[in-house]
Amino acid sequence: MSIVVFLEQHGNELQKGSLGVLTKAASLGDPDVAAVIVGENAKALASEAGRFGAGKVFVAEDEALHQALPQPRVDVLAKIVAEHGYETVLIANSVLAADVASGLAARLDAGLNWDLVDLTRDLVGKRPALQDSVLVDVGWKSTPRIALFRAGSFDANATAGGEPEIVEVSVELSEHSAKATITGQEQEQSAGASIEDADVIVAGGRGLGAPENFSLAEELARTLGGAVGATRAVVDAGWYPYSAQIGQTGKVVSPKLYIALGISGAIQHKVGMQSSNVIVSINKDANAPIFEFSDLGVVGDVHEIVPKLTELIKQRKG
Amino acid sequence: MTTRASEYPPPFSAREFVAEPTDPVDERIEVGVLIVGAGPAGLACAIRLGQLLEAHPDVAERLGEVPVAIVEKGKQPGSHLLSGAVVNPRALRRLGFRVEDIPSYGPVHDESVYVLTRRNALRIPPPPTMRNHGNWIFSLSQLGRWLGERAEEGGAMILPETSAQKLLVSHGRVVGVRTGDKGLNREGEPMGNAEPGSDLVAKVTVLAEGTQGHLTGVALDTFGLRGEEPQVWELGVKEVWQVPKAPQGVIHTMGWPLRTRARFREFGGSFIYPMGDDMLTIGMVVGLDYRDTELSVHDVLQELKTHPKISKLLRGGERIGWGAKTIPSGGYYALPKRLHAPGLLLAGDGVGMVNIPRLKGVHYAIESGRLAAESAFAALRRGATPAVSLDTYDKAVRESFIHDDLYEVRDMRQVFGRGFFVGGALASAMTISKGRLDLGKMRAEPDAEQPLLRSDRAASYPTPDGKLTFDKLSSVFASGNKTRDDQPNHIRIERRVPKEVAEMWVSLCPAQVYEVGVEGGDGTVTVNVSPSNCVQCGAITAKGGRLTPPEGGSGPEYTLT
Repeated sequence: MSIVVFLEQHGNELQKGSLGVLTKAASLGDPDVAAVIVGENAKALASEAGRFGAGKVFVAEDEALHQALPQPRVDVLAKIVAEHGYETVLIANSVLAADVASGLAARLDAGLNWDLVDLTRDLVGKRPALQDSVLVDVGWKSTPRIALFRAGSFDANATAGGEPEIVEVSVELSEHSAKATITGQEQEQSAGASIEDADVIVAGGRGLGAPENFSLAEELARTLGGAVGATRAVVDAGWYPYSAQIGQTGKVVSPKLYIALGISGAIQHKVGMQSSNVIVSINKDANAPIFEFSDLGVVGDVHEIVPKLTELIKQRKG
Repeated sequence: MTTRASEYPPPFSAREFVAEPTDPVDERIEVGVLIVGAGPAGLACAIRLGQLLEAHPDVAERLGEVPVAIVEKGKQPGSHLLSGAVVNPRALRRLGFRVEDIPSYGPVHDESVYVLTRRNALRIPPPPTMRNHGNWIFSLSQLGRWLGERAEEGGAMILPETSAQKLLVSHGRVVGVRTGDKGLNREGEPMGNAEPGSDLVAKVTVLAEGTQGHLTGVALDTFGLRGEEPQVWELGVKEVWQVPKAPQGVIHTMGWPLRTRARFREFGGSFIYPMGDDMLTIGMVVGLDYRDTELSVHDVLQELKTHPKISKLLRGGERIGWGAKTIPSGGYYALPKRLHAPGLLLAGDGVGMVNIPRLKGVHYAIESGRLAAESAFAALRRGATPAVSLDTYDKAVRESFIHDDLYEVRDMRQVFGRGFFVGGALASAMTISKGRLDLGKMRAEPDAEQPLLRSDRAASYPTPDGKLTFDKLSSVFASGNKTRDDQPNHIRIERRVPKEVAEMWVSLCPAQVYEVGVEGGDGTVTVNVSPSNCVQCGAITAKGGRLTPPEGGSGPEYTLT
């Protein structure tokens, strides 16, 4: 079993989701998991990959890889897989990674299983289906196998691994790879940390009562070093930007701690946050469905409880 | 003072949705026959055209690269299809299929009809209209998928996730449709991935949009085709359950939880059909001429399931699907004056080809689609003038069983305005006499013109337990609906109305699209709208608003309904 993990990096930072997949790969029993890092300063990131379990890191710094475009990455990966005979390619999902994975599958005539949330040692993937109500087992009939994992499926854990072996890869671009270019990039302005990456999310619902009360959520999130999320109802009502919407038609998150303020817990919201490690909810309505899947539920008024909670946490933190 | 929803009409005009083609000529997509809607009518039309064009390659050749195209707003054929459905297979047979070859849940073996009270169920002999011997049980969504495959085999091109937004009319003649824009934000401005609609230009356009068809309504107004009587609708809400053991036969109920007094105008009933050994579908249908602002068909269905006789059928089971749809019920007198206009044919539920007493419409849709195909084909033969020769379709429908069946029960829906028992007796008398009992033409008022009343209707709805009974949002989830939230609102309603009207809309909608907003101090309130919950059932159009098609691909993703 030989596994290679594609690590996505932007601005000299390996993406947390990719490192999570690498952590997972290292736990599957292959002593020699390889990673691929491409783009500017890829080499400098190799030792970090080592700490997350990569024994060998392929790096490619060709100028064609500076822009976040999929095709040149497909070229690099296809070459590595072909030359080194890797049987399994694991990729953490992102806008870029989805294109890379599908392009690679087409190039190698390989099977691609996408939206996986887990993978067993004998390479059976777990994929949520029927609106995440069941997990189905998926596998591959041939090699190479390509797997694309849902964001936040695995925690990224550094181990005491040694320095990895670094292999520089020369890039041979296919003819069509140079045909696309990025003409501009814009960053969406958002209030705090991005909710996909945050370990702590404080989310607000209609129970906050008014848009200005989102300051309660923001203050608590700041104190905990977390991000602010919102339900569809409040985004619909224009209380908070769409980029913060969590749920079926918003973002799917799985932070370590999810604090739900005034959120009733409709199933459309639940499917966006049910895989959070610890769910704490505060709601006036003791019959709110959210209490059925909370680890800690507080029946009470968010306007009274949250300021005191924020104060207490500040005190504890000194 | 009585309040009627019709006094607060939506900001909507058919003229907005009629346009000349605007794309440069070489960018228009040209097809031979363009069918709007991949339902039973549209797909039957495509299948029949495929058969005719295969036999006449000369005609096919003249229709260009794409002789037959179907635009479908759902993710795939079947995504927006929902019905009971116990189907009379005769139209499928006339289309050349053996019903045994079609995925179904088999013929009806046994049937029973009950009149319910809160705790009891009285079995009555099935009224003549409700006898289903020889009919077959289908999931219409599954049937749509299967017919879609047959249509594609026959050479039709299906364009899913595409809404038909505007009727293209040039010099008084329908020349196709314009498809809806995609990738607009809530304000209607293009986002990064925006994709403008395009002009689909055709020699003949067939509107087979189903109930509350958007362009069908536009065409009826534009060409002055509306029938003698206004169209009225019922709303059906249904669930699919996985159960340990499905009932043997089909079951219909009348009475409870609906109130039988004439003043409430709660006309309707329930159906429970087995789907093989371990699934069943259960649904509630209520006429939208009801008056109570708190009447919610969604919640009446929840109430029905708590009846001891019914909860027994569901015990140990799990709800695996949900959906809602209106059913045109105006019958014979509400049919359009003509079913064609220059370049245009109208088929199926969109024009109201439904036999409400018999709870049947699928086979009329299929038959009308087939007849539309034959007329379109005849008009496209060398030497024919498509603009004028489509009137053969009206004649064909008049000579078909569609006309005969609808005529026989022409006053049936109207008599139920007299209350359940009087209406029921008259209805039976009418059927037994095969339509010879003439009551004189009875009038119907549009559903939105019913004066509203309040009677604490909601007090009897059960509190959802998430196992047997559900809230509306959970139901929307079970419909598979995951519509993009940040698209333009496709629902036209007056946003400031008397509180009764707003409350009526809140209760009416099975998908929790409407909410009462802030009070204006003068008895009016604002209405908040969550359009992405919408499952496009069409009830709002019947009750004083107007549904237009959202971005293609939006709405429910039905699979078993």
